[in-house]
Amino acid sequence: MKLPQAWRQPLAIVGGVVAVAWLVIAVAAPLLAPHDPLAQDLPRLAPPGPGHWFGTDQLGRDILSRVMYGARLSIPLTLLLVALSVLVGGLLGACAGYFGKWADETIMRFADLVFAFPTVILAMVVAAALGASLANAVLAVLVVAWPAYARVTRGLVLGVREREFVISGRLLGFSAWRSLRVDVLPNITGPILVLATLDIGTALLLLSGLSFLGLGAKPPSPEWGAMVASGVEVFDSWWVATFPGLAILTVVLAFNFLGDTLRDALDPRTARAIKERAL
Amino acid sequence: MAIRSRRPRAKAALLPVLLTGALALAACSNGGSSAPASQGGGTAAKTLVIDTSFNLKTADPGRTYEPTGLIVGKAAYDTLLTFDGSDVTKPVPSLADSYELSADGKTLTLKLHQGATFADGSPVTADDVVFSLDRVRDMKGTPSFLLDGVKVEKTDETTITLTSKTANPALPYILPNPALGIINSKLAKEHGATADPGDKAEQYLNSASVGSGPYTIESVNISSQVVLKANTKYWGPKKPVYDKVVLRNVESATQKLNVARGDSQVALDLSGDQVKGLPGNLQVNKTPSANVVFLLANRNSAVSETTSNPKFAEAVRKGIDYTGLLELAGEGSVQAPGVIPSMILGALPADQGAKRDVEGAKAALKESGVTDPKVKLEYPSELTLNGLSLQGIAERIQANLKEVGITVELAPSPVTTALDNYRNGKEELGLWWWGPDYPDPSDYLVFLPGKTVGLRAGWKAGADKEIEAAGDKAAAAIGDDARKQAYVDVQTKLNASSPFIPLIQPSQNIVTAASVTGLEFHPVWTVDVADLGTK
Repeated sequence: MKLPQAWRQPLAIVGGVVAVAWLVIAVAAPLLAPHDPLAQDLPRLAPPGPGHWFGTDQLGRDILSRVMYGARLSIPLTLLLVALSVLVGGLLGACAGYFGKWADETIMRFADLVFAFPTVILAMVVAAALGASLANAVLAVLVVAWPAYARVTRGLVLGVREREFVISGRLLGFSAWRSLRVDVLPNITGPILVLATLDIGTALLLLSGLSFLGLGAKPPSPEWGAMVASGVEVFDSWWVATFPGLAILTVVLAFNFLGDTLRDALDPRTARAIKERAL
Repeated sequence: MAIRSRRPRAKAALLPVLLTGALALAACSNGGSSAPASQGGGTAAKTLVIDTSFNLKTADPGRTYEPTGLIVGKAAYDTLLTFDGSDVTKPVPSLADSYELSADGKTLTLKLHQGATFADGSPVTADDVVFSLDRVRDMKGTPSFLLDGVKVEKTDETTITLTSKTANPALPYILPNPALGIINSKLAKEHGATADPGDKAEQYLNSASVGSGPYTIESVNISSQVVLKANTKYWGPKKPVYDKVVLRNVESATQKLNVARGDSQVALDLSGDQVKGLPGNLQVNKTPSANVVFLLANRNSAVSETTSNPKFAEAVRKGIDYTGLLELAGEGSVQAPGVIPSMILGALPADQGAKRDVEGAKAALKESGVTDPKVKLEYPSELTLNGLSLQGIAERIQANLKEVGITVELAPSPVTTALDNYRNGKEELGLWWWGPDYPDPSDYLVFLPGKTVGLRAGWKAGADKEIEAAGDKAAAAIGDDARKQAYVDVQTKLNASSPFIPLIQPSQNIVTAASVTGLEFHPVWTVDVADLGTK
């Protein structure tokens, strides 16, 4: 089996390998991790070395194990978050674009309202109001993330809505719901998928950012953002903050590479450039 | 970093790195640029730079109650009595030559020292003393409570009497508080000082000082730095050594860098982990602070059916690994055997501290009849105490109690939110600390049923008659020996059946350059600048 040309790019391969590696770590963390991520039985603030390759934190917990278990929290939640944003934003955007008039006005003005706030601040306010927990942090990020999808979906639906095949469907007596599902949806999924993949990185950053500020994961759960926050208190022991930070960095990079590749692959205008660069 | 940005890509991934870099730069420049006075710690030799994380609202002695304000106040204003070095068990003369407490403990008579002068050369008179103390009490500022119900009178030109409605043996221990510094009443009145809430002298007192202390205030910026100048005409025996003392607001990680490279001579707030690995030419002073970190298990059954069970509190007391907590807090920290910290009269001897006994804890839990307890532990998430974060302590307690069979859910919240729940007595388990308002054991009667802190643990008046009787006895006791005995008794009883579990006194770690001499940590004013000398 041969990979399609668009995927035979160096960045795509790096992104794919790193992302898959993290997914494997997330699934198999209990088998891979050398220690219990919550056990406080190692020497405190030990630098990386045999037995604890990423060092230990202030409470004598193994950072390698915590980073591995952290993948079980951060990655699924980020994926869920993006999926929910696509669902909510897409649905609302599609309604706005397809029905137009007051539905369009109401939904899009509401989206504009959310856009008007700085993303991080709004997410912080929502998370703080709901109380600190990972579920609430996801909800907070969802509140600020959906309008992007609503706007893109609306634009795409507007473009497709007046095409002949959609109109003929309507003339055949399709309901609005069926018309959206059968005629419109298949023609707009590509761009939304690209946007979603590119967004995984930002969503993870925002989610760990909230945990960093103490508005997300509750201690002692090994969430990467919270781990970086605890590392800031002990700046001299660089390993406490560095390794969870690297975990965030690699996941974000990997999904951004994947998102880029996906866009290139789906965009006919970049097809020729891809052919030249393919491995 | 917006989630809606169209091409976040690598840029987004780099953001945390860039941010960290920018923050580090900002922190460094904060330390570096605000250092006009320091010249590598040597050449001038007469300038001392002290780095501390500011907790400063004002330099007006009548309003100040924050740690940094007390350092400034101590240097610029003399008080009637003071303490010798870091010994807070015995007040010694300062502006007053002697004091005498009446047999009923209600009247304190002080003889003023003759020849004491303010920085402008005018003499310190009995009228200045009366005005200063009246002003603090009647202005209704933060430290007003220190003199609540105390009447200040001048008997003659050299005698002052302080009269309280009830026995007040703590008064000689309260008077050394820098908030009760004596101000030059003539000068202060010219700038709007009055002995009522309409006082307008604060602004003036933030730009100049009108005290008789060894240093005078040159400038105050409550968010960045305070500059003190030597009072060349100081009347006391301890003449100021430095021409100029600069206190800078610097965050603790930067304090470490500054003192290590000679940019400052004193760093006041390093954590136990930060003082490790400092260059050998620096002196590290590790002293247990007067802050007692404690755990409370709410006695109000409306708040929690679990923690209100006294046997549950016993299980918690026996389930905690105190040595493990000390390891987190670092060298210099000590276990708190009772609620009164080690340096204050009436503190329990160290060997009476609770010890870990997992089997005993499990037995107590079984006896309590509570099965599979789940409790919520609330604490302020972002606060550090002497460089120690409560977060780590809470996580360690959670792990300790898990071994006993108690499931603890951690509920950190920002200090403002957490304080609300604490003050209203709504926390199931709470992790807090108590720092003394003045170094006298009577300040710790607040832990009794029906008193301020007791109520925060849902411990209502009448909940434990025996302890309350012991508390009343301690409050009325006169004479060091009798008081000591009474407070030891109160604490022994508290340890046996109260909702409070004293944990540790974290270490105050002060780092100084080799050239600085005479530094001693003080539980009230952290450090007396006038004590600092040079080699």
